[in-house]
Amino acid sequence: MTMQPASTEITSRTAAIIQELKGLEGPLLPILHGIQEEFGHVPQDALPVIAEALNISKAEVHGVVTFYHDYRSHPAGRHVLKLCQAEACQSMGSDAIAAKLKQLLGIGFHETARDGSVTLEPVYCLGLCACAPSAMLDGEVIGRLDDEKLDEIVAEVRS
Amino acid sequence: MGLVQEIDYGTPASTSEKQVTLTVDGFTVTVPEGTSIMRASMEAGIAIPKLCATDMVDAFGSCRLCLVEIDGRNGTPSSCTTPVAPGMVVHTQTGRLKDIRRGVMELYISDHPLDCLTCAANGDCELQTQAGVVGLRDVRYGYEGDNHVFKKNDGAENFKWMAKDESNPYFTYDPSKCIVCSRCVRACEEVQGTFALTIEGRGFESRVSPGMHQLFIDSECVSCGACVQACPTATLSEKSVIKIGQPEHSVVTTCAYCGVGCSFKAEMRGDELVRMVPYKDGKANRGHSCVKGRFAYGYSTHKERILNPMIREKVTDPWREVSWEEALTHTANEFRRIQYQYGRTSIGGITSSRCTNEETYLVQKLIRQGFRNNNVDTCARVCHSPTGYGLGQTFGTSAGTQDFDSIEKTDVVMIIGANPTDAHPVFASRMKKRLRKGAKLIVLDPRRTDIVRSAHIEAQHHLPLKPGTNVAVVTALAHVIVTEGLFDEAFIRERCDWDEFQDWASFVALPENSPEVVGQLANVDPEEIRGAARLFATGGNGAIYYGLGVTEHSQGSTTVIAIANLAMATGNVGRPGVGVNPLRGQNNVQGSCDMGSFPHELPGYRHVSGDAVRDIYESLWGVKLDDEPGLRIPNMLDAAVDGSFKGLYVQGEDILQSDPDTKHVAAGLAAMECVVVHDLFLNETANYAHVFLPGSTFLEKDGTFTNAERRINRVRKVMAPTNGLADWEVTQKLAQTMGLDWNYQHPSEIMDEIAKTTPSFASVSYDYLEKMGSVQWPCNEKAPEGTPIMHISGFVRGKGKFIRTEYVATDERTGPRFPLLLTTGRILSQYNVGAQTRRTDNVMWHSEDRLEIHPHDAENRGLRDGDWVRLTSRSGETTLRALITDKVSPGVVYTTFHHPDTQANVITTDFSDWATNCPEYKVTAVQVGASNGPSEWQLDYDEQARNSRRIATLEAAE
Amino acid sequence: MIPRIYIPGDSGALALGAEKVAKAIEKELADRGIEAKIVRNGSRGAYFLEPMVEVATTDKGRVAYGPVKPSDVKSLFDSGFLTGGHHKRWLGAPDKIPFLARQTRLTFARCGLINPLSLDHYKAHGGLKGLQNAVAMAPAEIVKQVAESGLRGRGGAGFPTGIKWKTVLDTTADKKYIVCNADEGDSATFADRMIMEGDPFVLIEGMAIAGVATGATKGFVYIRSEYPHAVAMMQKAVDVAREAGLLGVNVLGSPNAFDMEIRVGAGAYVCGEETSLLNSLEGKRGVVRAKPPLPAIQGLFGKPTVINNVISLASVPIIMDKGAAFYKDFGMGRSRGTIPIQIAGNVRYGGLFEAAFGMTLGEIVDDIGGGTATGRPVKAVQVGGPLGAYFPRALFDTPFDYEAFAARDGLIGHAGITVFDDTADMLKQARFAMEFCAIESCGKCTPCRIGSTRGVETIDKIARGIEPEKQIELVTDLCNTMKFGSLCALGGFTPYPVMSAINHFRDDFKPAPVAEAAE
Repeated sequence: MTMQPASTEITSRTAAIIQELKGLEGPLLPILHGIQEEFGHVPQDALPVIAEALNISKAEVHGVVTFYHDYRSHPAGRHVLKLCQAEACQSMGSDAIAAKLKQLLGIGFHETARDGSVTLEPVYCLGLCACAPSAMLDGEVIGRLDDEKLDEIVAEVRS
Repeated sequence: MGLVQEIDYGTPASTSEKQVTLTVDGFTVTVPEGTSIMRASMEAGIAIPKLCATDMVDAFGSCRLCLVEIDGRNGTPSSCTTPVAPGMVVHTQTGRLKDIRRGVMELYISDHPLDCLTCAANGDCELQTQAGVVGLRDVRYGYEGDNHVFKKNDGAENFKWMAKDESNPYFTYDPSKCIVCSRCVRACEEVQGTFALTIEGRGFESRVSPGMHQLFIDSECVSCGACVQACPTATLSEKSVIKIGQPEHSVVTTCAYCGVGCSFKAEMRGDELVRMVPYKDGKANRGHSCVKGRFAYGYSTHKERILNPMIREKVTDPWREVSWEEALTHTANEFRRIQYQYGRTSIGGITSSRCTNEETYLVQKLIRQGFRNNNVDTCARVCHSPTGYGLGQTFGTSAGTQDFDSIEKTDVVMIIGANPTDAHPVFASRMKKRLRKGAKLIVLDPRRTDIVRSAHIEAQHHLPLKPGTNVAVVTALAHVIVTEGLFDEAFIRERCDWDEFQDWASFVALPENSPEVVGQLANVDPEEIRGAARLFATGGNGAIYYGLGVTEHSQGSTTVIAIANLAMATGNVGRPGVGVNPLRGQNNVQGSCDMGSFPHELPGYRHVSGDAVRDIYESLWGVKLDDEPGLRIPNMLDAAVDGSFKGLYVQGEDILQSDPDTKHVAAGLAAMECVVVHDLFLNETANYAHVFLPGSTFLEKDGTFTNAERRINRVRKVMAPTNGLADWEVTQKLAQTMGLDWNYQHPSEIMDEIAKTTPSFASVSYDYLEKMGSVQWPCNEKAPEGTPIMHISGFVRGKGKFIRTEYVATDERTGPRFPLLLTTGRILSQYNVGAQTRRTDNVMWHSEDRLEIHPHDAENRGLRDGDWVRLTSRSGETTLRALITDKVSPGVVYTTFHHPDTQANVITTDFSDWATNCPEYKVTAVQVGASNGPSEWQLDYDEQARNSRRIATLEAAE
Repeated sequence: MIPRIYIPGDSGALALGAEKVAKAIEKELADRGIEAKIVRNGSRGAYFLEPMVEVATTDKGRVAYGPVKPSDVKSLFDSGFLTGGHHKRWLGAPDKIPFLARQTRLTFARCGLINPLSLDHYKAHGGLKGLQNAVAMAPAEIVKQVAESGLRGRGGAGFPTGIKWKTVLDTTADKKYIVCNADEGDSATFADRMIMEGDPFVLIEGMAIAGVATGATKGFVYIRSEYPHAVAMMQKAVDVAREAGLLGVNVLGSPNAFDMEIRVGAGAYVCGEETSLLNSLEGKRGVVRAKPPLPAIQGLFGKPTVINNVISLASVPIIMDKGAAFYKDFGMGRSRGTIPIQIAGNVRYGGLFEAAFGMTLGEIVDDIGGGTATGRPVKAVQVGGPLGAYFPRALFDTPFDYEAFAARDGLIGHAGITVFDDTADMLKQARFAMEFCAIESCGKCTPCRIGSTRGVETIDKIARGIEPEKQIELVTDLCNTMKFGSLCALGGFTPYPVMSAINHFRDDFKPAPVAEAAE
């Protein structure tokens, strides 16, 4: 697992992101996206810095961060695999796909493999409903999942 | 009696003048446009079920109990969020609505504990009430499902369950009882303006979170209590209610803390105070409160409260408890002896800004009628005496021009030398609400106070001026307005003396008053001064609020005049949204000034030299009154040191701690032969007293307080005085013992005498106050309903008077020995000398006075945050711990004065306002250095204080 | 002439390996020393043929091949595909492919044809004419034309777009906004994604027209974070449009100012609800706001705001180009124009099918979709995403029309259709509807916040055979509470899939046989 940066470092890197984005109208989500991109998660220590810069309360920032499922409180694994679990994929057997993948990776949804290789998450629709079942690995889309593709995915995240 | 029940209309009132008529369940009701269906129904007496709606906050529409059906419209809209429309036909109770409501309630209760019988809110729980209202009979989901109620589900840890947060000393947060209505979150945002609460997570996991999932005490919460008041369940509960139970009767009274004068319901069980709940009909606070008024009443039953009279020969003796009769006889004899021995003017008294108008009136009457001199003064001397002088000279009255509601119409707020979020928090919340809605803000203050920048509030201009330069900077604002032609000529020509204006204008236009010159000496960017001036002159309704940062200077009166000039020049007097408004420090500063507490004025600000005025009292009181002004507090102390002043009656004030130059005060008191302290506690002044008369709290007596907006509010007795006598009774007994023919049966009779003798109070009586709730003076034949806004059609003095405001720098200067400027002030959780608040759990927020110092100044001295430092001035020295912050500018340090062991006033000098002697607390040249312990003076003081507080234990034989 | 090869860069095609195909073609071109231009177009929406590679030939026009695998590439070249040569993947002229030929492509006219980032392509295929017309008109005239076209919000609610615009036009304010709801979270829907990835300028044009029509000067496109490719494409397109003067202080040289920004969501389905989307854009928790006030009067940052779905806005340019009557001519009843039906799930011919309103559900599923991909019988079709009802075959005569679906306790929503074969367990689907609501509930209103969780639990009891009839009654009551009591469509429409599953597929809710329970 990667070491989490020290709080002063978080503060200064956060401040730089805020500086770049605070001129936007409604800058909080873009800032949080920027922070997550920078650190791989939204560190708790970044929240007061944002609150101070945007002149809102720490409570408000906390309320926003915890509302959106995208924002992680802890770093994810080296790879993030999102498996669609919505209806179109269900109709094409996404349940079985999920079960198989969980077994192959040895983790459940919202979990990270012990070696930090991969975090598995459910996602509700990737807009690939005519190519179900689908998944997204590190931002790249994969459709018509089958056993063969699952094996490829597992090999890739383990490599 | 019973509980004072206030109707909750569910949503705030609409201010529209247009009326709309609709039908609710067959009844016709007419309400202002913009009113919600819920409120309109309530006006018609039809209570629609609700949980998330309350009229203190805007409609939210989350609970879904208040749904209604409207003819011609689809669906079941929520009545709280749907405004009325002309001719609308609303049904609040149909089969469909019943089913939905019962269904919603079934869901609520499926995630709520069923411990109603042992719940603190039992009997005062809206969830319980509404469950009854909708006829819930069964929860078919069972209780084994997902929940926030049980610590364990089937033996397994329930991670959704959260432990009760008891970190706040006054209330608890029990997440297991939360119905996520967001009322607390919204109250914190909309009413208080702190934004300390949020909902964290989403969906079923949504929970109320203080700060970032912190304990309340660690969050941004300021403990104002708005959330507790808003909570419909036991989720947020006063600890006192948990301990005692639900109150059974209540009395509306007025808070005894700051000058906002909030109305509260004192909710009682028998003679035990259960809680103080802000009263929505209170016109000063409109249902809001702060941590002091809401919660910090515990001092009234604190174990250190003195309940028996005490006397002693010498201040080095221990106290001896005596009967009231002995104490009063002793006092009367001593005063008479001293007068016989040293002359009529050798004694005097100090009235209290914390006691009622009636009590204050009696003390000054005792002095004038009984002592036969004018040696009466009050603590307003040390805070707002320059307001009286400055506004009296320019406008003709010694008071603020507006009511608090006026802020709602203000476009530009200018705050000078005031820290409203700490010192006047409830008004600050109203101010912040207006600022969030778009009003602009200008702040003149050496410190970056919270109002300058805090969540959702940011001043357009903050002028962090050097302490002592108010006159120069305010005059520079005028310079810009005059030289740039931004003044309101029509207003000035109509309301003021044009020649005087021109004279003043030519003065302020001088180059030495320009922002460029003044900016140099005040350490302020000239462009900021120009920007602020332009904004104030052109931004719409401009209102100035100021505090002790204006008055407590050697040129305090001059600054008040400069402020009045600025308001007149911009036409900002005499209508809603504008004006000049001193923020009064103590609950009854205004009242104590009104009641003739000054040595030169009889009640109603009438000079003692006026024969006609003296006639009124002479004929009523049957004595000849002195036509020469008496001694002010500092003069009394000087005279005492000189040996000509020997006896003092001090009611409810702690001059040793609150007055400047503590050593001089101590010397003066030590030189007297009979110092009588009438107070709740053995305060610092009592260390030098010979007689101690126990006082009563505001809960124990009837009377009135007059707040900063001149509002006369009733103080009502909610319990019997623990010491046996209300303060007015003590003063009356002392007067009787001294041979005066007083015979008041009730404070209302005192008010009747005030009304009879004081034109501005002519129509005031307890009966009238009962009817009106409260009134603002002047209240007389000309203004039967009182006067919310003054100088509407002309200034009280006739023409508004422009007066030149020459800037004269204070004699207190920095130099190599004392390179920093100390300024002092308050903090939210503590009040004044702290005698009350230090005896409550408010100490959790502020247990010591700290010295705020800028990082640069700290670094130069090798100081770290929390270090003990020695603070030295020409007057004295003390030690306290440093707090490193950039809220103060480099070169400026700041501390509060709430704790006697710090004694900030050992440091302050005896410089004072040229006109009124108001001490210059706000500017003291000091040096700060590392320290390894308390100063010698502190050690001596501590020992002396401990010795002088000894009370002789009663003999076993007695 | 250098041959041009079209390989879709649309994420649907990418998910099926378009990138690998592109690489293989590039390599093959290099290996064979052939000079050709590769254009990454959008998808035409026939996903059962993706990756569908097209070659522009001089004599036969465009010729399509698909679905192409990287392993096919060599043989494609061998078969002379650059000149339209025959191959087992040969499909012929794309617009002759029945799935595409049967469509009425108005909104998606260019999607899959052009390079999405080429303004020249866009203009060459009729782009910008609508905006050019609009800037020459008075705002009220534009609004009138949109109103007369009969265009209704394609996001699901079907509210007349013209009325929304008129309210914003008639509300005076110092600033107004156009917000495009591109938070396409419904399962079975991908029309928004396809437009953004395949023809982003049509959305930009539509938003600019909305700005000119209402006096709004700033637009936001709020795209869900699950669509990284759409985000990237829109961002690039906005940059191109700004560079070309299509956005900026003088839109197409007119005195109208309009600029726009792309914003990305953060994983909240409920932000597809317009008021929570506005909260999210403002940087707040994406909770639903009560209406009134309408966003058209007090929307983003309290200012009058047009908030429309991607397809609604993307349909505006053609209305402004060809006129209200042209558009209105398509459709049936009060549902005018065309609708991009997205056929998904267990279906043979999955993809986007733009057609006038009025086809029956049966035609769509059986004729166009070709039945299930598994070849088993169709058991149920969910129309309108996770909040839409499950329709049994018995209701396949329902015409695709807002009112007709509503009359049968269903909704069109964003026009997504998920096909299930006979292995589907409708109790499980009903449970999932509640579970999805629980996962995505904003938590503001009680029926949705608590009701969805209780719904899951109660359906679980049915599955376990615990007093099933009583539980079905309870679920029915709960659905009533949620339907009429919820603040927004998430809680309010979740009862549709649940109750339709119970009503139409009651057998799936029968208690498990005792013998099984004993096991």
